[in-house]
Amino acid sequence: MAQVKEISRKLEEIHKKIKAEIPWEPVGPTPMPEIPDLRQWDMRLMKTYAPFYAPFCDLCCFCTYGKCDLSEGRRGACGIDIATQQARFVLMACLMGCSAHAAHGGHILEFLIERYGPDKKIDLGTSIDVEAPNIRTVVGLKPETLGDLQIALEYVFKEIGHLLDSTHTGQEGSALDYESKALHASMLDHVGMEVADIAQIVGFGYPTSVADTPIIELGWGAIDKTKPVILVSGHNPATSTVLIDYLREHNLEDQVEVCGLCCTALETTRYSSKAKIVGPLSRALFFMRTGVADVIMTDEQCIRTDTPQEAAKAGSAMIACLDKAMYGLENATDYETDEIVRRMVDNKEQFAILDPAKAAEVAVKVAMRIAPERKKEWVTEEQAIELAKKCTNCKMCEQVCPNLFNIGGGVTEVAKGSFDLIRRQFLQCIGCGKCEQECPNNVPIFKIMQTAAGTETWKCRAGRGPVMDTEIRNVGAPITLGTIPGVIAIVGCSNYPDMDDIADMVEEFAKRKYIVVLTGCAAMAAGMKKDKDGLTVYEKYSPSFDAGGVVNIGSCVANAHISGAAIKIANIFAALPLRGNYEVMADYVLNRVGACGVAWGAYSQKAASIGTGFNRLGVPVVLGPHSSKYRRLYLSRKEDDDWRVMDARKREIVDTVEPAPEHLAYVCETKEKAMPMMAKLCIRRNDTPQGRAIKLNHYISLYKKYIGPGLPEDIHLFVRRDADIPLVYKKEVRAHLQQIGWQPREPVGLPTLIGTYPTKVPVDAVIH
Amino acid sequence: MSAVIPRHRVNVLTGIKSARLVEDPAEYADLIKKAKRPLLVVGPLLLASTAEGKVLMQYALDIAKAANIPICATAQTRGKMVELGVEPQCAYDVVEIINALKDPNWHGVKKEGNHDLVIFFGIRSDLGNQGLSTLKHFAPHLKTMTLCKYYFPHASYSLPNFKKDAKWQEFLEGLIANLQKGE
Repeated sequence: MAQVKEISRKLEEIHKKIKAEIPWEPVGPTPMPEIPDLRQWDMRLMKTYAPFYAPFCDLCCFCTYGKCDLSEGRRGACGIDIATQQARFVLMACLMGCSAHAAHGGHILEFLIERYGPDKKIDLGTSIDVEAPNIRTVVGLKPETLGDLQIALEYVFKEIGHLLDSTHTGQEGSALDYESKALHASMLDHVGMEVADIAQIVGFGYPTSVADTPIIELGWGAIDKTKPVILVSGHNPATSTVLIDYLREHNLEDQVEVCGLCCTALETTRYSSKAKIVGPLSRALFFMRTGVADVIMTDEQCIRTDTPQEAAKAGSAMIACLDKAMYGLENATDYETDEIVRRMVDNKEQFAILDPAKAAEVAVKVAMRIAPERKKEWVTEEQAIELAKKCTNCKMCEQVCPNLFNIGGGVTEVAKGSFDLIRRQFLQCIGCGKCEQECPNNVPIFKIMQTAAGTETWKCRAGRGPVMDTEIRNVGAPITLGTIPGVIAIVGCSNYPDMDDIADMVEEFAKRKYIVVLTGCAAMAAGMKKDKDGLTVYEKYSPSFDAGGVVNIGSCVANAHISGAAIKIANIFAALPLRGNYEVMADYVLNRVGACGVAWGAYSQKAASIGTGFNRLGVPVVLGPHSSKYRRLYLSRKEDDDWRVMDARKREIVDTVEPAPEHLAYVCETKEKAMPMMAKLCIRRNDTPQGRAIKLNHYISLYKKYIGPGLPEDIHLFVRRDADIPLVYKKEVRAHLQQIGWQPREPVGLPTLIGTYPTKVPVDAVIH
Repeated sequence: MSAVIPRHRVNVLTGIKSARLVEDPAEYADLIKKAKRPLLVVGPLLLASTAEGKVLMQYALDIAKAANIPICATAQTRGKMVELGVEPQCAYDVVEIINALKDPNWHGVKKEGNHDLVIFFGIRSDLGNQGLSTLKHFAPHLKTMTLCKYYFPHASYSLPNFKKDAKWQEFLEGLIANLQKGE
């Protein structure tokens, strides 16, 4: 009885927080879900897509009982086994990612509420009514003001506390439950990201309800070195937008060059089309070492932790602008501006300045003072040849290179006057600097590579924020029927096997009329390859969220607009209520929205939580080979797993046989393998025969193009009836099916997992 | 190289249990010959060629032929194998074949039961080592072996890091010769 009272008291509180009395939609079964509330959905997902673990090491070294050996079935002193320990790591990674985005959102929100007050209205333009699909679905709240966004964030922070608690020694003892918690943390991440980006759009006036955003210059060759140069680096645009404001107010925007690294670059170019993008994170160390930046301003996340040392070596001034990374620097936030400028210029001191307005003013004044003295230039080819002669090709660099490049080979080629190999290696380089650190002969590998990098420039479209409701109405039917073969979301960081892979993937799928959306470093990398006519994918393809479109959604936090678009298809196109109705939304996306995420260069904990959040929503994610180091995938075994669903129209459980989608989190070793896998992971049980034939046409043709002759080994699993076979391969597929004794089967009218596992959600809830 | 140190003094590569380093091709050949149901998993690094122009895949095909081992082609390697006149017994990607191998009741690529020795050749070392860790921890019913020019700490048996490709090629040729002796 006491328990019932407690539940109703909690629900009452939640209803108060989400303003349940405002009847924009009925409140679903899970507003503000807590850890156990969506656990049954997670368990159902993991029944088919079981966690696959790849431990880094045999040990647990978290507490003073250890180190504990967990190999060969042993348990640690606390009782934990190797699988549960990996799941615990995964949860911690997802929590780091979720916290980074949510705290970013919290900082921006605080900054903007200070500026505009909590009642500032959220208005994302005339084409967006469903402004916050993640918040509406998960929290159950329709945010109308900046203050409402705070309610969503408070919920996220509360859950983070409980989840982090569970990672303490002597708590959770089940790998599956840790995974469920990781899925929970990662769903919250999409809420936190949505808060951050909506606040930024509203507070900074970023583009919204528009597809055709400006084309931005990309590459350090685009930077006008004759001007004072300020480099902004990280993810949080509070400082960089204030910097642009300061330049505008003082008529200096054309006199000072602002360029950015990583997501702050994307954010800054959403604010000013005059700002330049240096490139993704992999270009950070290269660019810092050129010394072209007069002032480096760091904010948070994915900024190099040796920025003060590198800045000092390169002769750049440096300001840490956020409390997340203060580098041990003196906090000058309360000092007089002129005094800080004097000490930075005269004494070459570095400071933390946590007031964006002061940091901006100091940066501009310092840059203008020291720029005339700057003598940094790219290394010439002649100089590079001389520097390269110190290399003995001892292969120490190769041993430490995360991509295993024969860097010594590239450098020794340079010594002979050939730059071809090193240019290729520069494109593949992730810019970690380990090679140079390890070199016994102190060969300045980065300087030599700078020559290879040259001054080439590319183009990137400025991030556009949420997908418009009008676009969703246009594409909802073709996506769910399959006639638009899929949505390919290429997201995440720049730890690629090869940077060119991204542009190649975009090109391949855009020309096949998939919708290609991009965020973060991947959005930049997509623009860093030109075709024979000198055009990038942003110049070649439409910026609309439509067949064949190439859409830069924005920075990392804009990933919430991609999950949001999937939810909007269920809500706007299929008219399913979303409020506090996560399970129904995720079930719809898993079974009916042919979308596939690609985190080809994922390296960070944020990428882990973004991807895992997509997984809980039913979106499969293809990862690059490095991502095996995340320790966990979600894989099915297509021949053996349970592919039964409920046909909601007939109210009967049907064995579909087809693994659609086959995996939820999958590592591919090469781009060539990834291409057909991406097409395959867009197949859904809901496809019409026409849609399925289009999808199989791409799957087969990509297989033939990248893997080899013949047909994919599993093609029979995806052909339900003869009408599913693409016309162009009809003869070949029919002959194969006949040979293996394939039998036709009926497509499922309304496929859903609801009804196949214990849940409070009735089957009726998925019928629109 | 396998851990003989006290448990509280761990090695830096894997923690406790690391691969036995084998440098003698005859010893490697014996290990392969002793296996009842070996499997060779080939990866995309074998699409490259030696300085002399020999496709590395040819070494894999020669080893498989000499010891009568079925081949699983990963990534895009099937195309090259077909070009060289060999159809692999199966084509899975590396995480898929490892996922199947984890299951002691899996039927194996020849439907004769799961394999007792799995030889990896041509998988990039970071992905390969993580996958070997999966098998080390979750597939105690089988042993793993690598043929690449790097040391793979999570394997059961591994070659050392070869500084010179010629030495590695010499090892592979020695292995083939030793396997052929037993034909």
